[in-house]
Amino acid sequence: MTALKYIVAVAALLAAGTALGAESAQEIVAKADAIRNPDKPFKSTTVLTEYRSGQPSDRNILVVYSKIDPATRQFRNLARYIDPPRDAGKMVLLGSVLWFYDPATKDSVRISPQQRLVGQAAIGDVLTANLAIDYTANLVGEETIEDAARQQRKCFHLDMKAATETATYNHIEYWVEESTHDPVKAKFYADSGRVLKILYYRNFMQRLDGLRPTQAVIIDAVDSSLVTVVDFSDSQFTDIPDAWFQRDYLPHLNVQ
Amino acid sequence: MRRRLVAALLGAGAFLGAGDAAADNELDRIPATIQPPPSSTANANDIFYLQDDVIGSTRRNNLLVAFPPPLPARWEERLFADARVNWSLSDDVSLVYSGRLNLRVEDGIDFPSHETVRHDFREGYVAWKVDGETFLDVGRINLKSGVALGFNPTDFFKTRAVVEPLSADPSVLREDRLGTLMLYGQHLWENASLTLAAAPKVTTPSPVYLNTDLPSFNPMFDRTNAETRFLAKGSANLFDDFAPEAILFSDNGHWSYGTNLTRGIGQQVVAYLEWAGGDGIDLADQALQFGKDTGTIPLAAPSPLPSDPDHYFRNNAAIGFSYTTQSKITFNLEYHYHQAGFSDADWTHWFGAGARNNPAIDAELWYIRGYAAEQEVPTARQEAFLRADWVDAFVEDLEITAFINTDLRDCSSFTQVTADYYLSREWTIGALAAVSFGDKRTDYGSLPTGGSFLVRVSRYF
Repeated sequence: MTALKYIVAVAALLAAGTALGAESAQEIVAKADAIRNPDKPFKSTTVLTEYRSGQPSDRNILVVYSKIDPATRQFRNLARYIDPPRDAGKMVLLGSVLWFYDPATKDSVRISPQQRLVGQAAIGDVLTANLAIDYTANLVGEETIEDAARQQRKCFHLDMKAATETATYNHIEYWVEESTHDPVKAKFYADSGRVLKILYYRNFMQRLDGLRPTQAVIIDAVDSSLVTVVDFSDSQFTDIPDAWFQRDYLPHLNVQ
Repeated sequence: MRRRLVAALLGAGAFLGAGDAAADNELDRIPATIQPPPSSTANANDIFYLQDDVIGSTRRNNLLVAFPPPLPARWEERLFADARVNWSLSDDVSLVYSGRLNLRVEDGIDFPSHETVRHDFREGYVAWKVDGETFLDVGRINLKSGVALGFNPTDFFKTRAVVEPLSADPSVLREDRLGTLMLYGQHLWENASLTLAAAPKVTTPSPVYLNTDLPSFNPMFDRTNAETRFLAKGSANLFDDFAPEAILFSDNGHWSYGTNLTRGIGQQVVAYLEWAGGDGIDLADQALQFGKDTGTIPLAAPSPLPSDPDHYFRNNAAIGFSYTTQSKITFNLEYHYHQAGFSDADWTHWFGAGARNNPAIDAELWYIRGYAAEQEVPTARQEAFLRADWVDAFVEDLEITAFINTDLRDCSSFTQVTADYYLSREWTIGALAAVSFGDKRTDYGSLPTGGSFLVRVSRYF
């Protein structure tokens, strides 16, 4: 039995080594990034529905404008709250510098990277992040796991460490399907090593000129009753001038 | 080398063997039935809500400087409908309205009377998006400047713009403030912006308002357009995380200058500096001159405080930082400097003049402080401001905000705690408690209202 375990493990390592030879861990993450989001500017409606013990308890809707910063190759996001009504019109600029705008006061307040995590817009920010830019990946091996629909998926298993100051999480475990490079699952860790969230991508459909996930399921590992389902809809390529990603543009953004 | 190989083998085995068991547990938590996302985001630019507030206040007795009538209300009931609406006239042109219709009943005001129903016309303008980077607006516009929270020296259009606030929290004060009739233009470049605003004089200045003489349906341009004003401001991202903003402002030919700077420090801190300066006179002289110009104070009335009519350069500044904890609490700590505000000698004279128990003098003394409040500047020369905002405090959907404003001369303070609980997408309930404390011979200890309590309910549509 022990010998069999070693044989399986050695086979796994050999397979990982082969994959590593064909493409690096960083390339695998970059290919998964390209499936999650295109490299052209786009606009998308993001619906975040919270479930408590399996029952819907809260909902936030944001319209997010995303464009890659040519300097950093990382996405900049302009997120506008649509729902709930008390938050409608509030905006968060998530770029190299972060600003929060409230239409009630017509006031823009600069926020810290930590403060962006207070609001739900941060989830959208994480979901558009180019992980290959913010993290250094290592290939752990290959692994067959169940996806959110309990289908078996043969995946690369990657271990990623934050490589930039803008990385939201210190450490991520990531599973990417070998044959398609579809992102399947991710585990996000705090600095302390504690698992914070487990994320599954699912409902792959044609969106923004590609077969991309249209739903993410985020299982909260700290609050065991909480699951957040994130739906992406109304996605379309759109022209987004670089000038929009500054504080003074925020009062002018209306959702068409 | 051998030890590393064994560790790798054991690690790989562990992943292979244990992965599925852990995944089963996670997958069981995914809800069996997922709600479909809503198909429409209509009215995304419009905000409409109803709110009802009940307020109770306590009065201080034995003030060293007697407060002239009418005394602050001991109770108040306020129901209002608040709307911000954006109508698209074409792809590039829209019409914006923002206002609040108030129904109020309070101690000291007859019911019904012309004071019962009031409308605050905050904004009404036509917005033209010339292209994706150039904007031209005309009408009543709320133009806000500044990066600090408790005091904004560069927010030049703030003066006299707040009508009957329900909270002393500076970030809430801006929610119901009147815009200024102006022509506004802005152009954005990739790393820079330029804003120009010209606000004409359309009427003459009016006296400082009391809560018993507010007009019912009147845009009150006398508060916002009684002088010709002009503003130019520009910002440029000079290098990484350094994008200073420079401001030039003219109020009836008197020039002021200002700047705003922010800087991130690590993951949790943002430091900021806001400064403005220009020629001017002391707060007391400004107030008394305004009172005489608008007929509230007789022209021949002597000044209750020593007067210094000379104009010289005065500085105003707010310096501070925000710090956000991992438990979703954001602290802002600021130092405020208002050079035209009361010095030690001014306070001594203010209390000394009030000790004479002359009603006419007392009225002038309180007029100065009412003027400062309407101008949204501190009476004191130096203050410290600490604010904390805690999202999901103790329980989910409960937000608690608290702040304290302290006069650094006498350590008297005003503090306020607000709690809002988001019952549902539509309903919010909240409560607020405010207390001013200090010795009778201090800035906040001399105020006529000792404390107040408010409960409210809001319905969003």
